[in-house]
Amino acid sequence: MLPLRTFTLLVAPLFAVQLFASDLADDAALVLQHNCTGCHGADKQMGNLDLRSLESALEGGERGLAVEPGKSADSRLYKFIAGIEKPLMPPGKRLPAEDIEIIRKWIDDGAKVNSKEKSEAKPQEKAPVINTKMEERTITPEDRRYWAFVAPVRAPLPQVSTANPVDAFILATLRAKKLKPAGPADRRTLIRRAYLDLTGLPPTPANVQAFLDDGSPNAFPKVVEQLLASPHYGERWGRHWLDTVRYSDSGGFEYDRDRDTAWRYRDYVIKAFNDDKPYNQFVQEQIAGDEIAPKSYEGRIATGYLRLGLENNLKNEQTRMDDLDDLVATTSNAFLGLTVGCARCHNHKFDPIAQKDYYRMQAVFFSTKATEYPLVNEEEVKRFNAEQAHITELQVPWKAKLTEIEKPYKEKLIADKKSKLPEYVLVALKTPADKRTEGQKLNAEQVEKTLTADQKEILAAMPEADVQRHKQVSKEIADLDEQRPKPLPTAMAIAEKGREAVPSYFLYRGSPGSKGSLMKPGVIAAAIQGEWQFPEPPADATTTWRRSGLASWIAGAENPLTARVMVNRIWQHHFGEGIVRTPNNFGKMGERPTHPELLDWLATEFVQQHWSIKAIHRLIMNSETYQRASDDVAANLEIDGENRYFWRMPRQRLEAEGIRDSMMAVAGNLDLKVGGSAVHPYIDPALFQSSSKRTWVGKPDTDPETWRRGVYIFSKRSIPLPMLDVFDKPDSVGSCARRNRSTIAPQALILMNNSFVLMEAKMFADRLRREAGDDVTAQANLAFQLALSRPPSHSESETAFKFIRGDAQGLVDFCQTMLNLNEFVYIP
Amino acid sequence: MTNRFLSRRELLNRAGGGIAGLAFADLMRGATAAPGTSLLAVRAPHFPAKAKAVISIFCYGGVSHVDTFDPKPELLKRQGEAMTGKGDVVVSQGHPGGLMPSPWKFSKHGQSGMDVSELFPHVAKKVDEIALIRSMRSISNDHAPALFQMNTGFIQGGYPSMGSWITYGLGTENQNLPAFVVFSDPRGGPIGGAPNWGNGFMPAAYQGTPFRSTGDPIVDLKPPKEMTPERQRRWLDLLAQYNQQHLAKNPHDYELSARIQSYELAFQMQTEATDAVDLKKETAATRALYGVGEEPTDHVGRQALMARRLVERGVRFVQIFSGGGNFTESWDAHWDLELNHGMHCAETDKPIAGLMTDLKSRGLLDSTLIIWHGEFGRMPISQKMNGRDHNPYGFSVWMAGGGIKGGTVVGSTDEYGYAAVENKKTVNDLHATVLHQLGLNHEKLTFPYNGRNIRLTDVSGEVIREVVA
Repeated sequence: MLPLRTFTLLVAPLFAVQLFASDLADDAALVLQHNCTGCHGADKQMGNLDLRSLESALEGGERGLAVEPGKSADSRLYKFIAGIEKPLMPPGKRLPAEDIEIIRKWIDDGAKVNSKEKSEAKPQEKAPVINTKMEERTITPEDRRYWAFVAPVRAPLPQVSTANPVDAFILATLRAKKLKPAGPADRRTLIRRAYLDLTGLPPTPANVQAFLDDGSPNAFPKVVEQLLASPHYGERWGRHWLDTVRYSDSGGFEYDRDRDTAWRYRDYVIKAFNDDKPYNQFVQEQIAGDEIAPKSYEGRIATGYLRLGLENNLKNEQTRMDDLDDLVATTSNAFLGLTVGCARCHNHKFDPIAQKDYYRMQAVFFSTKATEYPLVNEEEVKRFNAEQAHITELQVPWKAKLTEIEKPYKEKLIADKKSKLPEYVLVALKTPADKRTEGQKLNAEQVEKTLTADQKEILAAMPEADVQRHKQVSKEIADLDEQRPKPLPTAMAIAEKGREAVPSYFLYRGSPGSKGSLMKPGVIAAAIQGEWQFPEPPADATTTWRRSGLASWIAGAENPLTARVMVNRIWQHHFGEGIVRTPNNFGKMGERPTHPELLDWLATEFVQQHWSIKAIHRLIMNSETYQRASDDVAANLEIDGENRYFWRMPRQRLEAEGIRDSMMAVAGNLDLKVGGSAVHPYIDPALFQSSSKRTWVGKPDTDPETWRRGVYIFSKRSIPLPMLDVFDKPDSVGSCARRNRSTIAPQALILMNNSFVLMEAKMFADRLRREAGDDVTAQANLAFQLALSRPPSHSESETAFKFIRGDAQGLVDFCQTMLNLNEFVYIP
Repeated sequence: MTNRFLSRRELLNRAGGGIAGLAFADLMRGATAAPGTSLLAVRAPHFPAKAKAVISIFCYGGVSHVDTFDPKPELLKRQGEAMTGKGDVVVSQGHPGGLMPSPWKFSKHGQSGMDVSELFPHVAKKVDEIALIRSMRSISNDHAPALFQMNTGFIQGGYPSMGSWITYGLGTENQNLPAFVVFSDPRGGPIGGAPNWGNGFMPAAYQGTPFRSTGDPIVDLKPPKEMTPERQRRWLDLLAQYNQQHLAKNPHDYELSARIQSYELAFQMQTEATDAVDLKKETAATRALYGVGEEPTDHVGRQALMARRLVERGVRFVQIFSGGGNFTESWDAHWDLELNHGMHCAETDKPIAGLMTDLKSRGLLDSTLIIWHGEFGRMPISQKMNGRDHNPYGFSVWMAGGGIKGGTVVGSTDEYGYAAVENKKTVNDLHATVLHQLGLNHEKLTFPYNGRNIRLTDVSGEVIREVVA
């Protein structure tokens, strides 16, 4: 291991139990109910002691009182659980420290029973016995026979006259349903569709012409190959994956801290798609890259996946459980198409997913902690740390000097403030420390700890000479700060304490205050025969290897879900809808596949093709199904108006980023640089009203630095970019399998009035003048070619001519019209 | 799929302010909207509603209940003493002091005799319209999670906000205006930002639209000056013409026709939204009622008066954030409570009372639910000598109008105001009640997301029957 101390951000669970008066009794009752009622409850009451309720606990048993209100040290209940007196209770199992503390506090606080409940209910009614055990859930053979848990079977291809397996299955269903497939799309439509679909950018007129001129039978497959080889393919398809894993560049909650290194994970995803990294490897790296490829920076960066959730600025055991819950839910949604998150508090209501599955999966991730992994060698880290320490040391005398200058003024300010405190506080301060009442102690301490003067006040109180001295010294300190080394490049990554797992427990109702049995790692029981063997970590391991155990199950060829879920996602992004229309939920509340045999065929093919995503693209895009027109077939509307059986190509609106990217591509100012840190386009300050900890330093529209593709725009949870937000870019609270696609007036307002769009219209007009000269008809013709991949019709051309000539700003307004067209924002 | 054969006229009528794409149509199966139906079309409530619209006045930072609506004479009697018998007192920023009395006097008001402090002299005259809940509890003593919980029901940002749920449930009565409008304090927005009025996993149609209280109300409502209305109309006509030709080839595609319609709506919104916030159209007497044109009430007064104008025009949910930015700019009175609450109450008291008077005189109070709340209350003990720390264990919120039983007090806190003890209410309960007044059953208003039918009230919440008239 590298010396990571300076980088490691420990997110270990803190045992800070939040206690407040009215809940103390409730908490104490829960501790007793969860841990003691097995022997002192409904079935038996050993020693005649009933611990089902606080009232009955106060009554004691055959050995007398178990609780002496106000005196934990004299209470047998406390002494037994705390191990002060034998026997230890519960026998052989020491309660967690915070549970013991709850009982101590409850007793010392007078062992109060919640008065309202006491008056309302008898002990027996009031205290239902809560089972600390997990709900049992036996997995039956029938559970395992549910379609998604049965390994995909490669059915023979239906006998239809086609070479492409996709078409064979689709056509067979169309025949069975008496649906007539739409005709083939024309070639301009086809190439525009392929470009927008694979890269999110429209083809150039030259791209279109080359395709039209290519009479060879494999002209389209060649286009597909070119596009799959384009670095811009990964930008669009990587973005789909980023939605699935709820990627964001900030942590949310109060501070919504920027994650300045998150982009490395984003670039890793884009590159993985561009490189056609085998999907099974892609899965394993994200879950356990540090274990399976410890030497590779890429493996470390990939574990950024485990860090993408929200970051609560409060760090305690409860928020840690919430973080893990988010991780379990997202991992099961994204990779398995299951909703395991539902089993946190109870067995899944519809699917055979038990609480046990949830807590076994949680145990896999339980030992993880956040780390910033340096992407340089050990020597450089040492050098960096040494330089930092050196500068800090050089600053010490200057800082002392500063304190010395401030001292007299600060003291006077504090003294002044003290004199103005309320009388009762002054009395407290005057009272000798050992004579103070409890309240006086608190108030005196508060004054000592919090009464201060800030630098602004201090400077205001100083004469000019000292202000100057203060300035000089501050400058020395600032100059030294300037000399600090540049921050090391790091990856937002994951580490663990060591090969021994941090113990994790079943939690009643997901609450860390109610622990049950110790959990071992495991996988989804219904999706496997027998038990999955987790690997023993190597002797020198720095992690538990539980994650690589889970990852190899998910990415294994035998997993019935993984390949199906991913090919369904690929299908969905091509066709707008999946074969299973609930891509994150293959469970019983999700939809059944419309084409189960096709889904299985694609899933088995995916594995056979070494999990190559591009192989599936080829298969799909070279099918007739993909190459059909998007026009309606009147006869089909009655039977399948929704096009569930894919008798035509659905028209899909470009996603938020695609609209912005296409505008710039057409206007000619899009910067096609791939990768790197994120950019901040302009946002009207009225929309975010920053506070000191949360702001957006947007660059003006005219700054070419911001003319990057949407996937590179800094994605800040509390400050969404309006143009993306209004077009349904997802909030990144959870996995988004399919974006909403709403059509609303505020979208039109932005495309009509936003300064960026108006600038794009002007740039588009400039480009037309530059490339088509002053001839209006030529300008309009080029505009259509660039924006819509086709020449205008005769009537469109005439209309355009009149419009452009009709106003001094005719060309710019014409360009804005083009960028607003339905035809421009829909993939044909 | 009969809707694919709607007449064009019918289609355009339905298209309204936004339509469901196929993806959304799927989600809505079994719910109220069919594909092609406007996402914002008026939808019938589950049962007859008392209220049609909501105005939320959100005191961001956390209002001290023991200085406003929950008198605690014990604090004066025992000033400076330690607060005992409450277990470990959990404060957010450490160094708890002793009990600190309120610098303000309380007195009884109205026929109901409700206690209100002298911080709210105007609102105090309205107590017989107000149902006060003194026993609120929430989960977090940290601003962002507490704000998110109060606004979305969940402590993580990213769930749909209350305004989104309501517009999802009921649609809106005016397609030419946003259904859900948010005003921030001119000094800054609340911590957590846009997720406080976000649509979460719902379509963007349901997100809150931030309104400015000066100048153009909506960002990007108007083009830059050089784009004259005539010029804009001219290119929009060209757009419509080209789009219609494109549509002619795909006449059944309701998404395409709805998108054409959305430009006409946007065009109308430019005038309608401007008109809706044009306070020059109000009489001097009305403006004075809200404290418009005088300090310190001008900004809240303007927002409250705009809220009335919006509700009058069929807007469903308006939220006004009082307090923003940092330190004393919000209600977060960690120190110098007197300065902080003195200022914020003076800013809001007259506008709130003015809003109630105005709504009532126009016959709108019965159908407009007003909620006054913050993300939590404040501690009865001192912090930094003269401030109070966050307190989610017990605090006050109130509601008025919209079928609320005025002059009601629900629940209580302990002798110091530290924790709710009697008839405790949760944020889920509050949300269930708001939905109930709008004719929505909080257990039935669900949205499917990743395998679960999510509710504003998660898995709990009961309507607070005591406040329902």
